[in-house]
Amino acid sequence: MVCDQCGAPLGAELDCFAALELPKKLRIDSQALEAAYHRLGRRIHPDRFSSGSAAVRSASLRGTALLTRSYRTLRDPVSRGLYWLEFSGQKLGENNQNVPPELAATVFEVQEELAEMRDAAPALRAGFREKIEGRRAELEDSMTELKSQLDANFAAWDASGEGDHPELMVSLKGILSRIAYLRTLIRDVDRELENLKAA
Amino acid sequence: MRIFGIDLGTTNSLIAAMDGDRPCVFEDPSTRAKVLPSVVAIGPDGPVAVGDDAIALEPQLSSGHESGGGNVAVVRSVKRYMGLGGSEVAPEDQPRYAFADLSGPVVRFKCGSRIYTPPQISAEILRALKTRVEATAEKVERVVITVPAYFTDGQRQATKDAGRLAGLEVVRLVNEPTAASLAYGLEKMAEGKVAVYDFGGGTFDISILNIAGGVFEVLATNGDTHLGGDDIDNALVNWILEGLPDSLKSERHVWNTARHEAESAKKRLSEVDQTEVTIQLPNQTIRKKISRSKLESIAIPFVERTLERCSLALKDAKLAPSDIDAVVLVGGSTRMPVVRRSVADKFGREPLCSIDPDLVVALGAAVQAGVLMGSQQEMLLLDVVPLSLGIETMGGVMERIIHRNTTIPTSVTENFTTAVDNQTHVDIHVLQGEREMARDCRSLARFKLGPIEPQPAGYPKIAVTFLIDANGILNVTARDERAGREHSVDVKPSYGLTDDEIERMLEEAIDLGEQDLEERLLTVARSDGEQILAALRKQLGEWGSLVEPDERTSMEDAARRLEAAMEGRDRELISRLVEELNHLSTPFAERIMDAAIKLALEKRSVEEIS
Repeated sequence: MVCDQCGAPLGAELDCFAALELPKKLRIDSQALEAAYHRLGRRIHPDRFSSGSAAVRSASLRGTALLTRSYRTLRDPVSRGLYWLEFSGQKLGENNQNVPPELAATVFEVQEELAEMRDAAPALRAGFREKIEGRRAELEDSMTELKSQLDANFAAWDASGEGDHPELMVSLKGILSRIAYLRTLIRDVDRELENLKAA
Repeated sequence: MRIFGIDLGTTNSLIAAMDGDRPCVFEDPSTRAKVLPSVVAIGPDGPVAVGDDAIALEPQLSSGHESGGGNVAVVRSVKRYMGLGGSEVAPEDQPRYAFADLSGPVVRFKCGSRIYTPPQISAEILRALKTRVEATAEKVERVVITVPAYFTDGQRQATKDAGRLAGLEVVRLVNEPTAASLAYGLEKMAEGKVAVYDFGGGTFDISILNIAGGVFEVLATNGDTHLGGDDIDNALVNWILEGLPDSLKSERHVWNTARHEAESAKKRLSEVDQTEVTIQLPNQTIRKKISRSKLESIAIPFVERTLERCSLALKDAKLAPSDIDAVVLVGGSTRMPVVRRSVADKFGREPLCSIDPDLVVALGAAVQAGVLMGSQQEMLLLDVVPLSLGIETMGGVMERIIHRNTTIPTSVTENFTTAVDNQTHVDIHVLQGEREMARDCRSLARFKLGPIEPQPAGYPKIAVTFLIDANGILNVTARDERAGREHSVDVKPSYGLTDDEIERMLEEAIDLGEQDLEERLLTVARSDGEQILAALRKQLGEWGSLVEPDERTSMEDAARRLEAAMEGRDRELISRLVEELNHLSTPFAERIMDAAIKLALEKRSVEEIS
C-alpha cells in the first residue's frame, strides 16, 4: 500500500521514527527532521562506501533507501498521519463513510460546475473560469483549516500517554478522510483549469 | 589510486581529477587541448581515430572536390543514440549515418563490413581519454561518468556498458547539472535555491537544487534528451542550403562541409553581429551573409522549448522564478547571447558562467570522484529520479510506484500473487514515464518471477522490491514471503545489450598481440579478489569490535583460501570464493550500517550538550 500523493510506502513494518532516530511524537519540527536526515545520510550514503565490499555497499544502498522513505513519509503531515494509522494497525475506510454530508455536498456541487464549464460554449467559458477560480480559493481555505485540525490532533496524541486512544484515532481518520476527498477535488479543479488554458 | 571524473558529452568529452583540493582537467599532451571532440573514425579493420584526428577523416568538400570518406565511417554525437532502440532514431538523424539495423533493441551502425553499437563507439572515446591520462604514467581504472539528468534507465545502462567495454569500472554515474553544481558549490559561488541550466550539444537539462551546509539536494529536474546545439546547427544548415536539390543536400560531403561552416558561423556570431559562409560546390559557390538576428530567429524555437522545461521543473519544485537565488549556465550552447538573455529574462537575474561552461561538468565529476575517495566529508549529494517508474496493470494502465523527482536511492516493495491455480510464473512489466497508459510510456524491462510451486490462485505472496540506486538505475529483488527466502528474478531489458553480447564485444576488442580473453578474464577476477580483500581488511580495522570471534575465523579462513586461489589460474574458483566471502561478511556489513547511524546520534548528543 502506498500513499497516493507522494508514493511513500506505508506499513507497520517500517518504523520511520526509529529510522531517523526521532521520538514517536507526531508534531515534528521540520528543520530538526531535515537535520536528522542529512546527518544520518552523510553517515550511510552509498558515496561513503564506494570502495567497500559488495555486502557493505548493498547494505548502505538498502539502508539509505529506507532512510529516504522514512524522511519523506514523516515530512508531509498528511502522509505522517496516514503512516500513524497504519503503524497503529488501522486503515482508512475504503468507502469513506466518515465524510460529513456538507463536504459530500460541496464535492457534488463543484463537480456539477466543472461539468457545466466543460460543456459551455467557448465564449462563455471565461465567465465560468472566474467562478471556478473563486471556488478553488474556497477549497484551499478549507484545506488550510483541515491541516490545522490535523496539527491539533497531533498535539493531542503527543500530550496523551502510551496506549490506545480510540477517540483520537476516530478524529484522525475523519480529518484524513476529508483531506483525501478535498485533494481529489482540488486536483480535478486544477485539471479543468489547465484544460481551459490549453483550449 | 585516484578515481577520475569523465564528462562524456555529445560534442566534446573531458577527463579530470582532484589535484589536492581543486579539480583539474587533463590536457592532450601534444595539443594542450582540454576537450576531446566526441567524434570517432572507424576503418575497415576497426577504430582508427578519435577527436580532431577523426574529424580530419570526415568527408568534406575542399576546393570543390570531395576528400576523405572512402571506407572510413566517421560517427558524431553518438550520445544521441545511446540506450535507444532502432525505431527511436529521430528522422532528422537518419540520412547522416549508415545504419546496419534499425529493427532491434539497440541501434547498430554499419562501418565498412563491421557493425558497431553506440556503447562500443562511446568506449573508443573513453579509451582515448584513458590514454590521455596514462601518458602521465598514471593508471585509470575507476571512473565517475556524467549523464544528462533526464537520461532514462536504458540510456544510463548503455553508458555503464560503454565504460565496461573500455575496461573501466564505472563507480558512479552523476547527473550533469548536479556535477556542475558541485563545481560551483566547492567554490562557494552558488548557494541556496540554485537553477542549473545545461544546454549542450545534444541534450538539455534543467535542475533545481537547494545547496546549503554542504548538502546538494535536487528538488526537481526536467529536460529533453534530444534537444541541443546540434539542432540549431541542423536548422542553420537547412537555411544555408535552401534551394539546393535534395539529392545534393543529402550528399555526405556537402552536408558535412555545410555543417562545419554553420557551426563556425554560429560561434563567430556570439562575438560579432554579422558574418558570411562560403561553400564551394563542384559547379557553384554558395555564399550567404548571416546576421546575429537571423541566427537568433532560427535558434529561438529551440530556446523556447528549453524554457518550457524550466517552467515544468519550477512547478514540480513548487517554486516561482523569483524564489531562485542563482542561475548557473552549463554547456557550450549557453555562450549564445540569445540563450543568456532568455535565461536572464526567465529567472529575473543575470546567470552565472564564471566557470567555463565547457569544463564545469568534468570538474564537478572530479569533485564527486573526490567524495567517493573519502574527501569532502561534509558533502552530501541527494539526487532524484527524473521520470516516474511504474508497472503495467490490468487494462494496460501504468500504475506509478515511484514518482518522478523522488530522492534516490529509493525503494518500494509491492506484493504480487497468482491469478490462476498452479500458475508457475508471474510477469511484471516495468515502465518509465508520466502518461496514464502503459503503451504511451517507455518500456524498461520485463521481470519474470518463478518458478512458483503449485498453489491455489492468490495464495503465493511474493514481495518485489524495486530499488533505484544512486546511479538512477533500477534493481529488482524478490522474496517469497511464505517460504521466507529470496526468489529468483529473470530480467529481460527492453533496450540495451545483454551480458553475452558485451562479453562477445570484449572479445572482439582485444587486439592481436594483447592478452587473449581467458587471460583478461583472469585479470578481472584477480582484481575483484584484491578489491574485496582490501575492503574487508579496512572494515575489520575500523569496525573490528563488531565481529563475533567465530565470524572472524570463518571470514579469515575464506580470505586465506581466496588469496591462495588468486595465485593460481582458476578464475571460476576465484569468483566463487569472492562470492562466498561477500556472503559471509553480510551480517558484519549490516552491523556497520547500524553503528554508523549510532555514531551520528552520539555526535548530536555532543552538539546538544555544547
